[in-house]
Amino acid sequence: MQESIVRFENISMQFPGVLANDDVSFDIKKGEVFALVGENGAGKSTLMNILYGINKPTSGNVYIKGQKVEKFSPSDAISHGVGMVHQHFMLVPSFTVAQNIVMSKEPRKYGIFYNLKEANNITRRLVEEYGLEVEAEDTVEEISVGLQQRVEILKTLYRGADVLILDEPTAVLTPQETEELFQVIRKIVEEKQMTVIIITHKLYEVMAISDRVGVMRQGKLVGVEETKNVNERILASMMVGREVLFDDIEKTGEPGEVQIKADNLYVADNRGLMAVNGVSLEVRAGEVLGIAAIEGNGQSELLEALTGMRPVQRGEFYIQGEKSNGKTPGQIRELGLAHIPEDRVATGVSLQSTITENLIIGKQRQSAFSKYKLHLKQSSVVRYAEELFEKFDMRGSGIETAVGSLSGGNMQKVVVAREFSFDTPILIIAQPTRGVDIGAIEFIHKQIIKKRNEGCAVLLASADLDEVFRLSDRIITLYEGKITGEFKAGEIDKMGISYYMTGSRDADTQKEEGGAQNE
Amino acid sequence: MNKLTDSLRNNKSYLTSLVLSIVAALLIGAVLMLVTGYNPVEGYAAMLKGVFGNSRVFGNTLAKMLTLCLTGLAMAVCSKAGMFNVGGEGQLFLGGLAATMTGVYLQGVSPLIAVPLAFLSAAVVGGFYAWIPAVLKVKLNVSEVITTIMLNSVAIYFCSYLTNSSGPLRTDDKGVLGGTEAVPDAFMFDQLIPRSNLSTAIIYSAAIAFICWYVMKKTSVGLEMKVTGENPRFAFFSGLKKDNIMIWAMIASGAICGLVGMFEVYGYQQRFLDSISNEFYYDGMLVAMIMNYSPLGIILMSFFFAVIDIGAGAMELSVGISGELSDIIFAIIIFLMAAEGGIRKYLNEKKIQKKAREELELRKEAK
Repeated sequence: MQESIVRFENISMQFPGVLANDDVSFDIKKGEVFALVGENGAGKSTLMNILYGINKPTSGNVYIKGQKVEKFSPSDAISHGVGMVHQHFMLVPSFTVAQNIVMSKEPRKYGIFYNLKEANNITRRLVEEYGLEVEAEDTVEEISVGLQQRVEILKTLYRGADVLILDEPTAVLTPQETEELFQVIRKIVEEKQMTVIIITHKLYEVMAISDRVGVMRQGKLVGVEETKNVNERILASMMVGREVLFDDIEKTGEPGEVQIKADNLYVADNRGLMAVNGVSLEVRAGEVLGIAAIEGNGQSELLEALTGMRPVQRGEFYIQGEKSNGKTPGQIRELGLAHIPEDRVATGVSLQSTITENLIIGKQRQSAFSKYKLHLKQSSVVRYAEELFEKFDMRGSGIETAVGSLSGGNMQKVVVAREFSFDTPILIIAQPTRGVDIGAIEFIHKQIIKKRNEGCAVLLASADLDEVFRLSDRIITLYEGKITGEFKAGEIDKMGISYYMTGSRDADTQKEEGGAQNE
Repeated sequence: MNKLTDSLRNNKSYLTSLVLSIVAALLIGAVLMLVTGYNPVEGYAAMLKGVFGNSRVFGNTLAKMLTLCLTGLAMAVCSKAGMFNVGGEGQLFLGGLAATMTGVYLQGVSPLIAVPLAFLSAAVVGGFYAWIPAVLKVKLNVSEVITTIMLNSVAIYFCSYLTNSSGPLRTDDKGVLGGTEAVPDAFMFDQLIPRSNLSTAIIYSAAIAFICWYVMKKTSVGLEMKVTGENPRFAFFSGLKKDNIMIWAMIASGAICGLVGMFEVYGYQQRFLDSISNEFYYDGMLVAMIMNYSPLGIILMSFFFAVIDIGAGAMELSVGISGELSDIIFAIIIFLMAAEGGIRKYLNEKKIQKKAREELELRKEAK
């Protein structure tokens, strides 16, 4: 067996209110491609930030090439030969490729003058040596994202890295660029004996590129496997499965009228690539439609489109029978929709505002809370906030606390409390319990089912399969922005559905052909 | 009552460090006086005398205070909604000029008609001049910081052109350089303290300050502004018309600045001069930033700034200590307050880390 190049020993990382890494131990071997997978918030980035010296672990040790890391700083990590390419590139856009590559270790003439010519030469030598084609004299802001990523990789190689961490490297790439990146990775591993650690949640990439794979969930390492011994389905269940068993919640009533209708919807992601490819669905009053999908398969974009947060490229959707393409979130809310967003910190709350302020937003102009829609009735507002604070069992030092100082679970309760108390006939819910403790999960689940039983139409997307199975009346699977299956509750089990979530071999080849036609 | 103690507790550490910063700044000022060979007791006594010595100087101090207070509030209003208006100076110039020319052209008309029209023109012109960068920001994402700074120069030089040598609005009055015709006496605000700069503008200012405080702290609109300023995506998500909120906050800010320009003219200068404001808006911005954009804080702090500013002038005249001392004292307060944020953050971070380690220990023991 090859020698170990990086060793994590009982690493724990405690952030206030969140245990991001919980007693993680494993080895990474010299000359391998190691994939680290897990949902958002599973702790993979935290762990890699520790290796790269950005975070100091609360307890535990890191060994690089047998040496214990004493001082956690990126410059120290670099001197140990660790390089990291972040998801968001750290390049100076107005500099040339060569200037970016030699930055912090610039070649000099007579010890003081910047030697641009030498920088260009160094770049060309690196390009030749590693086979990563880029033009030394191009300006970084004018080259494609894929090439910028190469510049980042070359930068770490120039600094002498032999352990390369790639944080979600394919998140910003087109399929074509992804394939090129993989070729580069294979090349530097085979020819230069580099070690590559790749953080991702795209399982087919794990299968395509890695030698071994480590799966993380809620801060813990679930397991490390040889890639050839696993498949996407096994990895998916390792990633999203949860051991905790909940009681069944009683569901009553029959589905009623169609409340949400989407007709052949196409939605682009932030890069302008199509993330939702012709999705049609209907959600009726009194039912929960669950979307089961591995992250990054279009569920986020779909939900954002239906709530007005993201423009629709093609197709139509109807909220309560009214065509809602092009409407703002405010206009869609007026039609009777409430929304629990996927990213509560960025979208769901105002961190500096108090719990009260976060709870009242949306109702601040109702006559119960303001005179002439203007003068806030302070006492009614406070009474209302206190009521919700009690009812939703929020913990913290009272309703005047800034939401930013709450734990993830309590913050989510603020969002849930606000959105549920609009009493709308439609709820669109994304990741309702991500990063939330077990007690709060149970509570939020009960609230969702209560809404359903009261006749609310609920569209739910969750990366947690247990959650989807527990709450949904019907389940659809999304893969690469297309619906790959639709099931009634109880018709299928978790193993079966993960087959549809990862797209079968057949679906894969069809997709590639379809993709070629689109281009 | 409960709420009051709560908010006091929340702001206690901030207020404590503010008071400490001021004391430290005054002490350093005293040291500077000693080093340069003056008696600090004498210096500060002259400063106090220059502010509270008689009703005239006190009136001047209050007049200075209301300028600082209104410009500070103008800054607070827009920054609340996430807009950073650096263009108050230009809005002040144009608003002042508009109000002046309204007065000049309406000579002979009843003040009951002319003065309200002057108010209106100052607010509309100031507001319009802030609307331009606001729309550019909201629709095209052009940084309002850059555009407002640029528009300052445009406004100031434009006014200078209009009121100088061959400019169309220059006066022929002797002894006036770079100014317009005078506003008729009938339109001028009444002097509250004879021979001082203090006029009934202070009443209008108090009203504006009250409205600012009321809207920002007590209304649904204020809440919407706050949320928009803190997290625009959340505001959009919540269905707020965030673009409108940002634009109107900027217009309000510009309108207030326009009115400050008018008060300068109708309060005591009587005509628009191209030197109408000596970077008043930037002083107001400083006051607003030091007080974390809190309306009440701005009102209090602008009084303190006015005391130091007017007092330092008097000190220079009577004791000979350079009036630049006021700038040094302001700079030290700002410096210390800026450092305070950093120091507090550092201590907080330490506390959190310690708590985290304890939490982890507890978990281990539980296992």
